[in-house]
Amino acid sequence: MAAAATCGAGTLSSECVASEAGQSRTSSFQRRGKASGAPGGGPRLLSIAGTRPSVRNGQLLVSTGLPALDQLLGGGLAVGTLLLIEEDKYNIYSPLLFKYFLAEGIVNGHTLLVASAKENPANILQELPAPLLDDNGKKELEDVHSAKPPEADANMKIAWRYQLQPRMEQVGPVLSSRFGHYYDVSRRIPQELLESSNWHGFFLPEHTPPGLKGEPCFLSCGYMKLLQFFQNIIYTEGFDGANPQKKQKNILRIGIQNLGSPLWGDDICCKENSDNHHRLTKFLYILRGLLRSSLSACIITMPAQLVQNKAITTRVRNLSDTVVGLESFIGSERETNPLYKDYHGLIHIRKIPRLNNLTCDESDVKDLAFKLKRKLFTIERLHLPPDLSDTVGRSSRQDLAPSTTLLGTGCSGMTGGKKRLDF
Amino acid sequence: MPRLLSGDDIRRRPEASEMLDSLLATGGLVLLRDSVEWEGRGLLKALIKKSALRGEQVHVLGCEVSEEEFREGLGSDVNSRLVYHDLFRDPLNWSQPGEAAPEGPLKALRSMCRRTDRGSVTIALDSLSWLLCHIPCVTLCQALHALSQRNVDPGDNPLIEQVRVLGLLHEELHGPGPVGAVSSLAHTEVTLSGKMDQTSASILCRRPQQRATYQTWWFSILPDFSLDLHEGLPLHSELHRDPHTTQVDPASHLTFNLHLSKKEREAKDSLTLPFQFSSEKQQALLHPVPGQTTGRIFYEPDAFDDVDQEDPDDDLDI
Repeated sequence: MAAAATCGAGTLSSECVASEAGQSRTSSFQRRGKASGAPGGGPRLLSIAGTRPSVRNGQLLVSTGLPALDQLLGGGLAVGTLLLIEEDKYNIYSPLLFKYFLAEGIVNGHTLLVASAKENPANILQELPAPLLDDNGKKELEDVHSAKPPEADANMKIAWRYQLQPRMEQVGPVLSSRFGHYYDVSRRIPQELLESSNWHGFFLPEHTPPGLKGEPCFLSCGYMKLLQFFQNIIYTEGFDGANPQKKQKNILRIGIQNLGSPLWGDDICCKENSDNHHRLTKFLYILRGLLRSSLSACIITMPAQLVQNKAITTRVRNLSDTVVGLESFIGSERETNPLYKDYHGLIHIRKIPRLNNLTCDESDVKDLAFKLKRKLFTIERLHLPPDLSDTVGRSSRQDLAPSTTLLGTGCSGMTGGKKRLDF
Repeated sequence: MPRLLSGDDIRRRPEASEMLDSLLATGGLVLLRDSVEWEGRGLLKALIKKSALRGEQVHVLGCEVSEEEFREGLGSDVNSRLVYHDLFRDPLNWSQPGEAAPEGPLKALRSMCRRTDRGSVTIALDSLSWLLCHIPCVTLCQALHALSQRNVDPGDNPLIEQVRVLGLLHEELHGPGPVGAVSSLAHTEVTLSGKMDQTSASILCRRPQQRATYQTWWFSILPDFSLDLHEGLPLHSELHRDPHTTQVDPASHLTFNLHLSKKEREAKDSLTLPFQFSSEKQQALLHPVPGQTTGRIFYEPDAFDDVDQEDPDDDLDI
C-alpha cells in the first residue's frame, strides 16, 4: 500500500507514481541529487507506456481506446478510477467500447484482467479489433518483432559506472508512443500481439464448483471470488507497490463484462425488490478501494436498462467515477426518424470525475451521437438537418428534446429540464 | 389432407424458407415472444420441422402440452428425429421416490445437453414461461446460457458442433424484469404480433461481429407447419370476411348527393365561375377594342442620367 500511504485516499497522480518508482530503482540512467527523489526536490514524472499526465490536474491518464471519448472525458481515464458503460438496449455497441479499452492495453503493453460470466475471456481477446497504424507505427512494430535477443548485445561496451545498474527491459510490444489509437473493427488483432501480451482471465463458470451451481451460496460468492482474484493479481504482480514490479512500471487494465446481469448470480434485473440489492454496491465499493491503491484502471459494462429498481442504478452511478450511457436506435421509433438517419444512437456522458480539484473537465459539447461505420466506431456532435420544409413536423422536433440530455453543474447528475437544442 | 401447390405458393415458398433459415442461421438462444392473441407454438413447430428436415437431432422439453398433442401435425420423418422430454405429466418428479420436487425441471434442463448425439442439436423449450414459474429467474438464465454455449461445462458432449435453443416465452405472464433478463441472453429475438388475422414476426438478430438486423415478416402457418409468407401488411380485400357480418353501405344516410341527375349535371357545366380564366377573358386581352384606351409608360431622361455613348472597353487592345 505504498501508493496509498504516499497519496492518501485519492486517486494516483503522476507525481505520486513517480515517487513510488523512485524507491525501487528501475532506471539504468539516474541523476543523483535533488531530482532523484531527494527530500529537497520534487519527484520526476515516471514515463509509463500508454499514459500521460492530465494538463488540468496532473493526474496520470490512460486512453479508453477511443480518442473521441478520451477528449470528452477530459483527456482520458485516470489511473485508479472506474469507468461505467451503461449498455444499450440490445447490448450491440457497448461491447465495442469494452474491446477498444482492452485493445488499447495490448497495443501499449499493459497487463489485462478480463472478467466475464457470459463469454470466455480468451474468446473476447480473440475478437479485439486490429489497430490502425501509420507508417511510423508499422516501423516500430517491425522493430519490436525483429529485435535481436539481449544475448547478442552482451559484449556491448558501456560506461563502467553503469555496468552495475540493472538493465532496462522492454515489456511487451509497444507499437506506438502515441496516446490513444484508432482501430479497425472489421479486422481482428494480430495473433502475435496477443501471444506476447500479459493477460489474466476470470470466467465465472470455471470458478464455480459443479455442485454449487444454482445454489444460494453460489449466487452470493460470484462477486466475492472476483474480488479475491483481483486482489491476488494486484498483489502478486506488484501493481499496489507492496511487491515491486520486476520490470518497467506497468498499468493493469481491468475489464468486467455485463456486471449485475443474472449470469453473475445477481437478481437486480429480475426483481424490483431484490433479495440482495446491496451485493453489487458492496462489490463496487471494495473494487474502488483496490483501484485507488494500485496502478490500475477499470471499465465495467452494465445492463442499466434491465435494472428494475432505479435506486440501485443511482447508487452504482455514485460509486463509479465516470459514467457513459449508450442509447441505441435499433427497434425504436428514432431509427426511422429523419432527424437521426445519419446516426446509430446517442451517447450520454452522465458523470465526469472531479480529481484533485473542485471542478471537472466538462465538455462544451452536450449533444453526442455515435455511428458504426464499416471500420470505425465514431462519436460526433449531433447535427440536425436544416428544417427547410414542412416534412419534419413539430412532433418529431419535440421528440429530440428528452434525448439531448445535458451535463449537470455538478457533473454527476442530469438536468431534468427538457431543453431545446440551440443552433 | 396434403394441399396442392399453386403458382402463388411456388413463388413465395423460397421466401418462407429464407425466413426460417435466418432464424436458424446461428447457434445460441432463439427467443419466441408470443401473447394470448398471437400464439407462437405454431412457429416453434415450424422451426422444429425445419431443423429436423436439415438432419439435426431435436430435443423438446415439453411442459405445457402432452407429447401426443405436440407431435400432432408433424410428419413421421420429423417425429423420428424428435426426442420428447415429458415434464407435462409429472412436472415435479413426484413419481421418482426421494427426489426433491423443485429439482425436477432444472435437472431435466441440465441433463438435456448430455443426452444429445453428435452433430448440430436443436433444443426446444415449450415453454420458458412455465420454467420461469418453477425456477428462479437467475438460475434459469444461467442454465439457459450454459445450454446454449457449446462445451461450457467439462461434462458436456465434445462431439456437439452447435447447440441451438428455441425458447417460447408468453411475455404477458411476466413482468419486464424476467422478460428483459431472458431477452438479454437471446441471439435472435422474435416478437409475434399482427393485424386482422395476419401474424407478423419482428425479428432482431444479434450476430457477433456484425450489425444487428431488424426486420418484420408477415406470414400464416399452414396445417403441415410450413410457412406462407405475405407481402407486408395485407389489404382489406385480401382478407376473408366473416360471412355472418352484414355489410353496411357507407353511401346511405348522407347529407349530400354523390350522384347527379342529367339536369343537375347540365346546370353545373353551364355555370361560369367568377375567377376562372375563361376564353372570353382571353379574347378580350389579346384583341382589345379600338376605341378603348390602353395604358402607356412615358419616360423623360433626367439631367443626371449618365448616358455615355463611348465604349468603355475601347481603350483595351483585344
